[in-house]
Order: sequence, then C-alpha cells, then structure tokens
Amino acid sequence: MSPGFGNGLELRQLGREVGGRCLLDRLDLQVAPGECVALLGPSGCGKSTTLRLVAGLDPASGGQVLLDGVDLTGRSPGERQVAMVFQSYALYPHLSVEGNLELGLKVRGMAPRERQRRIDATLELLQLGELRQRRPAQLSGGQRQRVALARALLRQPRIVLLDEPMSNLDAQLREDLRPELRRLLCGREQPVIYVTHDQQEAVGMADRIALLEAGRLQQVGSPRELYTNPANRFVASFLGRPAINLLAIEPGRQLGLRPEHLRLGDDGAVAARLLRREWWGHQQLLWVDSPWGTLRVLTAPEAPMPPEPRLGWQRRHELWFDPDSGARLAA
Amino acid sequence: MRLLVLLWSLGPLLWQLRTSLLRPEALVAPLLEGNPWTLANYQLVLSGDPPFWQYLANSTLVGLATTLLTLLLAVPCAYGLQRLRGPMRWGVGLALVAAAMFPTVLLFLALLEIARSFGLANNLLALSLPYTALSLPLAVLLLRAAFADLPGELEDAARLEGLGLGQRLRFVLLPLLGPALASTAILVFLASWNEYAIALTWISRSDLLTLPIAIARIGGGSVFTIPYGAFAAATVLGSLPLMLLVLLAQRSIVSGLTRGAVKG
Repeated sequence: MSPGFGNGLELRQLGREVGGRCLLDRLDLQVAPGECVALLGPSGCGKSTTLRLVAGLDPASGGQVLLDGVDLTGRSPGERQVAMVFQSYALYPHLSVEGNLELGLKVRGMAPRERQRRIDATLELLQLGELRQRRPAQLSGGQRQRVALARALLRQPRIVLLDEPMSNLDAQLREDLRPELRRLLCGREQPVIYVTHDQQEAVGMADRIALLEAGRLQQVGSPRELYTNPANRFVASFLGRPAINLLAIEPGRQLGLRPEHLRLGDDGAVAARLLRREWWGHQQLLWVDSPWGTLRVLTAPEAPMPPEPRLGWQRRHELWFDPDSGARLAA
Repeated sequence: MRLLVLLWSLGPLLWQLRTSLLRPEALVAPLLEGNPWTLANYQLVLSGDPPFWQYLANSTLVGLATTLLTLLLAVPCAYGLQRLRGPMRWGVGLALVAAAMFPTVLLFLALLEIARSFGLANNLLALSLPYTALSLPLAVLLLRAAFADLPGELEDAARLEGLGLGQRLRFVLLPLLGPALASTAILVFLASWNEYAIALTWISRSDLLTLPIAIARIGGGSVFTIPYGAFAAATVLGSLPLMLLVLLAQRSIVSGLTRGAVKG
C-alpha cells in the first residue's frame, strides 16, 4: 500500500536534537489513510521520539509533519486532532472510567447530551459499559488498555498513535488483543503509527514496518520485504527469530544465512557436528558446530539426522554484507 | 512498644496539660496538702482584656492568609521549576534550599525597616507577607517533589486532549496533588501560628497581637513570679485549634492517598 501524494500523514526530514545529541535524524515516512505503520527498533532508537514529534508533545528541531498536505509542525498537541495510547495508559487516576472519557469533551465545550451519546457509543464498542463507574486502580491491565483506547477513539482523531500499548500486558493477552486492536484502529480513514520493540507485534499489527536504529531509519516496507530483502545487516539480524547466521566465509564479505535456509544432509559444503537440539513442536532448532563457528539451523521437528552431517544451502538464499559498515552487497 | 512511642511524643503535651491544671504552689511542692487541681489558670487567661479568643482569631487570620498566599505562589512556581530543564533548574533549586535555610534572625531589622517605610505595622494581613516569604522556599520544594512524582504521560495525555495549562492544573494535576497540598498547607500554617519574633516587632496594638506574643505578655502577680500555670493554660488553649486542623487535614491526606485504590 503506497500513499497517494499529499494524502495521509507525511513526515518530511523530521529530526530532533537535544543538547547536541541527535535523537532522530531526518526521518522521511508516509502513512496512508487507514494504513498502520509499525515503528520498530531497540529501545532508544528514536521510535518514541518520532511519536512525540507527530503528537506535538516535543518540538522538532527540523523537518515537517504534514496531514493531508497541511503542515501541522507549528500546532499545539490539542490542535492536531491526534489521539495517543500510552504505554502506561495515562488514565486519570482520580476519575472514573466515564470521567476519564468525559474530561476532554468537556473542556472542548461539547453539550452534555452529545457528550453522553458519544461516551455511551464508545463504551458499547469496547464492551466497557459495566465498568463505567470504576476507577482505573480497580481495573485489570487489559481493561485499562481498553479504556485508554476508548479515550483515544472517542475524540474521532485524524491520526492515531500507539506507544507500546501492549507491553504491560502478559503474552497471551497480547496475542488475543491484536486482532481486536486491528479491527478497531486500522482500515478506517486515519493513519495509524504503532510503536513497538517486539517484531511479532509489528508483523501482527502493521501493514508496513519502519525499522529504526540509533535515530536513523534503516528500512521501511512490508514485513516480507524487510525479511527477504533486508537493506543492511542490522535489518537482517533484527528481524527473524532464531536470528540470522553471519559467516565470515571470505575476506571483505560477510554471508548472512537464515536458520531455515541451512540444510543438514549427506552432501553439503562442509562437515558439521550437532551440539544441541531444541525441540519446539512445530520446528526444531539445531545448534551446529562448523568451521565458521556455531550456527543455528531450523528443521522440521522429526527430520532425520544423517550419521555424518554436512552443511549446505542454496545460492538464492545468500545475503551478503560489508563486514565493517554492515551495508548490503550485491550477491 | 507502640504505647512507648505514643508516650514519648505525647509526654510534653500531657505535662503541659497537667501544669495548666495545678495550683502554682503545687508546681514547686509536689507533696502539698489538700487538692492541688484548679481551673484558676484558665480563668486568668480567659478573663484577660482583650479576650483570649481575639488572639486566636488574629492568629487564625494571619495563618489562613499566609497559607493561601503561599500556596497561590508556590503551586505555579513548583510546576514551572519541575518543567524547567538545564542548568537553571539546578541553580534555582539550590537557591531555594539556601533560602529555606537562611537564618531568620538576620532579617528582623531589615523587615522592621520595610514595615516602617511601607506603613505595614499593626496590620495582620501585612504580617502574612513576611510569613509567606519565609514559607515559600520550603513550600516550593515540597510541591516540586510532588509534581515530580506525577507521571509525565498523564500531562501529555491531557495536552493531547486539548487541555490548556490552567485546565491541566485544575482538572488533572491539582486533584492528584491533594495530599501534598494538604501537608504543605499544614506546615505553612503551623509556621505562621508559632512565629514570634516578626510578630513581636511588627505588632504593638494589644487587640492585634498574635497568640505567641499574647502568651508571652501574660504577667504574674509581681515581677518576681513567673505564671507557669497561666502559660501552660494559654498554650493548651492555643494548641487546640491546631490539633483540630491537623486531625481534619489528616483525614483528607489519608483519603487522598488511597483514592482510586479502594472502592470510590
């Protein structure tokens, strides 16, 4: 999905620098209406910084934020019609669920009847009706997250931002909530930016992934593009678990081979020795000793092991990198 | 163990109460014949002119004015300081600590000059000005710490919802600071209630005296007697409103701390 010109959200050369330290380096990114882009990367890579710049919570040191071609950069957060779900949910602890939803509408001077109608509709949508009188402290993590979501959706925002919205929930709940989040947020007319450090969540939620590292955009594209055609070594090693094997096969070039692309068989390039087997049910991970160090090999769970295994792979799966810069080299 | 701690902290108070109820002779001769208990001390204190409640009213007025003024100034100041970044933040914080620890004794003469040249003497509301100035550093430091304890995302969320600064303070931040505001208010009120030296130099009209000065002015039968009993009685009477205040505020502090945690 690629955005039409001037439609949706566009970040142009967006940057932020604090005290001489660059937190975000001239980021260019487009998010189409209804598209969900995940900002993915390790902590401190600039993904939350980006979100705060789009929301207007922090001032940009350079660049622009455009929505449908209109420059938002100088506007205050309240004027941007941006909704954000925070990692901590940031619910007002002294107000009930209803009070949390109502406050924003009240200060905007919306009539009580219209306020009530909208709150009722949103509570209905998120199945929170029975909890409306509860205080945040009386809610479970998942319920709090739904209230935070309700507060964001209530305002009929033009941009939706989510900052690690599920990282405080346990793994099972996270997986269960993913389709619900997608149903509620994505595919409407608003562009959605979803910040996470979890690649599973990024793949599960987003249409496209923008991978950041040290304040720089490394690559943006569909999960498949990033996985099969990584722009550099960082992208190749960040995506995919178990991680890609990096082999110093020849001087001046580094070979990247995904664990599922390595084969243990009777024929192959080199002899290998099995160190350890991790049986995962749907797959098994083999730790293998080779002349290039310990490698990860992913096979079918019941794959037979040859008596004298040799390691092999297909040429088309080879990914070559510059050993110093990590840049992708032509095969 | 708890009883011991209770006795340790209540001891002086109970002793004061006992002293206020004893005949003067009984203070120096514990084994006196006859009934040592009397209410004469209270009668003496309450029969003064102007009446004792006048001093209570004066002190209350000064205390309330001081507390109100201090909080009005300290809240925005603490908020601003908390949001400040860079070396200024450190510098101002240090200046506040220095100001909070400055020996008040060194200020009396200057303050007296100020009172004289601006015509602030014998004015209870004017007395709350130096009190506010003295309480402000500590109040700002306390409230700044309270602001710092509030999660920043809370205010971010409010900003995104379009709440202006005033609205954020009124609807989000101050309700959450209730307990901190209450304890700061109590500290400020107490300091003003107990202050002696400035009140002594700024107020001379007898109907405008604050409690500590009025107590000190209670005279004995002659220059050679010190009316311990009357002092004690006045002190007990002067402490009652304070205890009432703290008890009331304590309830709000506790309810503030547990708000949201229990069924609301």
